[in-house]
Amino acid sequence: MGALQGRVAGVARYALLVLPLAFVAGALLVPLGLMFVWSFWERAGFWIRPAFTLASYAEFFAGVRLSVLERSLVVAAGVTLLGLLLAYPIAYFLALRVRRDLARNVLLLFTIPFLVNYIIRTFSWVYLLSRTGPVNRALMAAGVTQRAVDWLLFSDFAVFVGLISSYMPFMIYPLWAALDGLDRRLVEASWLLGASPRVTFLRVTLPLSMPGVFAAVIFGFVGTFGESAVPIILGGVGYQLMGNTITSALDVLNYPLAAAMSSVVVATMLAFLLVWYLAFDLRAVLGKIARWRF
Amino acid sequence: MGPGRAGRAVAWAYIAALLLFLYVPLAPPLLFSLGGGGEAGTRAGAVTLRWYRQLWDNPLLVGGVQNSLLVGALVGLITPPLALLAAMAVRELRRPRLIVATVLLPLFIPGVSMGLASAFFFRQLGVTPSLLTITTVHVVWALPFAFLIILAVMATFDPMYLEAAYLHGAGRLRAFVDVELPLIRHGILGAAIFSVILSFNETVRTALVQGPNNTVQTYIWSTFLQVGLSPTLYALMSLLIAVTLGLVAVLLLVGARGAVSARGG
Repeated sequence: MGALQGRVAGVARYALLVLPLAFVAGALLVPLGLMFVWSFWERAGFWIRPAFTLASYAEFFAGVRLSVLERSLVVAAGVTLLGLLLAYPIAYFLALRVRRDLARNVLLLFTIPFLVNYIIRTFSWVYLLSRTGPVNRALMAAGVTQRAVDWLLFSDFAVFVGLISSYMPFMIYPLWAALDGLDRRLVEASWLLGASPRVTFLRVTLPLSMPGVFAAVIFGFVGTFGESAVPIILGGVGYQLMGNTITSALDVLNYPLAAAMSSVVVATMLAFLLVWYLAFDLRAVLGKIARWRF
Repeated sequence: MGPGRAGRAVAWAYIAALLLFLYVPLAPPLLFSLGGGGEAGTRAGAVTLRWYRQLWDNPLLVGGVQNSLLVGALVGLITPPLALLAAMAVRELRRPRLIVATVLLPLFIPGVSMGLASAFFFRQLGVTPSLLTITTVHVVWALPFAFLIILAVMATFDPMYLEAAYLHGAGRLRAFVDVELPLIRHGILGAAIFSVILSFNETVRTALVQGPNNTVQTYIWSTFLQVGLSPTLYALMSLLIAVTLGLVAVLLLVGARGAVSARGG
C-alpha cells in the first residue's frame, strides 16, 4: 500500500511540475505550429479552408510586402544596434564600476517606465516631437534651427525614437547580468600581463560578455521586428513594418496571408533563439538567478 | 585602474540623460488631461478635472475598466502558481535547460504573432472570444516574468533547509509548505503584482483575442484608431500610469520587506 501511495504521489507531483510546460505548449507552441499550417490554407469567405497552397507566400514575397520585410529587417537591425550602443556602456558601468546595491537601484529606475504601457508612452512622443512640441521649441530657443524641424515626427526618426524608448531598457538587463557574472580575475590578469584598458576590453571583457550581447540583440530584435503599434503612431500614413502589415492583412480578412507573414516573423525569431540556445550557456545571461545544475 | 572622477561624472550624466529620455513620455498625458482648453497641445485654460469625471459617463469604458480589473485579478492569481511550479520543475526534473527555454519562450514571440496564433487557434476550436481568452493570452505573456522573479527568489533559498525537513520526517509537500513557502512568499507576491502590471498594460495581444470585450488598453487603442486622441483619453492614460506606478510602489515595498525577512529570518 505504501509503495502504491508513493507512486500515486510521485505521478501527481510529476503532473504538477509538468503543468506549466503543458500550458505553454498548449497555449503557445501548438497555436504557433497551427498558424504555420494555416498559412498554407486558402481564403474562404470570412474564414479559411483546408488546402495546400503557397499562394500566401507568393503574395507576400512577390508583392510590395517584400519591401516591408526588408524595411522591417533594416529598422529592427538599426534599432537593435543603436540600443546596444546605448545600453552597453550603462551595463558596463553599473556592473563593473558601481556598488551592486546602487547598480540594482539604477536598474530599477530603468524598469519602471518600461512597466507603463509603451503605447501610452509612444502617444507622448507624438506631442514631444511635433512641430510645436517641446523638442522643436527647445531647438529653436537654442538657435539650432530657425524654423520648426518637421522630420522629427511621422518619419524614420520618430519610429526609431519610439522603438528605442520602448525596447532599449530591456536590453540593459542581459548585458548587465553577463558583465556582472564575469570573473574579474580574468580582467586583472590581463591588466597584470601589461594589456592596456582598451585591449583588455576588446580581448577579455567584450568576448566574455557576448552571451549577454546576443541576448540583448534578441530582446531588441524581437520587440522591434514584430512591432505593430509604434509605426502606426509615429510612422505616419503608409509607414509599414511587418507588425502593422500583418494587422492590416487581418483588416481585409486575408487570414492566410496574415498567418504566412506572422510565420515568417516567428521563424526568424526561432532561428535567432536556436543559435543562442546552441551557442551560449543560459546561465551566463540569467546570472545568479539560477545557480542550480544546468 | 578605474576612471577618474570626471569619467564617473560623465557616466552618471549619460545615465541621467537616458533616464530622462525614458521618463519624459510619462508627463504629457497628465498635462493634457488637466487642461481646460479642450484642444490637446493648447493648455490655455485653468486646471480642470472635468475629463476625469467624464470618464465615468462612458458605459463602454466603465465596462472596459471592469474587464481589466477582472482579467488583471485572474492573471495575478493564475500566473504565480504556474510560475512557481515551473521554477520547481527546473530544480527537480531532468533537462532544466529545455524547461527554462520553454517557459521563457513567450518573451521572444512578437506580440502580433502571439495574438494572431491564439486568435486563430481559439476560432478553429470554436472558443468564443471572452475574458477567459484574454486571460489565457495574458497568463502566457506574464509567465516568463513571474518565473524569473520566483527563480531569483528561490535561488536565495538554501536547499539545506529542505534536507533538514526531510531528515525530520517531513514529506515533500509538508517540507514545501512549512519550510520553503514562508521563505519565498514575497517572491510569489511580487510575481503576482508584476503579472497584474503586465496584464493592465497589454494591448497588442489583447486586441486580437478580445472579440467584443474591451479592456482599458484596447479601448484607448481602438478609440485612437477611430477618432484620435482626446483629453478624455489622456485622462484615462494618466490614471493607468498612476495605477501602474502605484502597483510598482507596492511591488517595491513587498521586495524590501522580503529582503528584510530573508536576512532577518
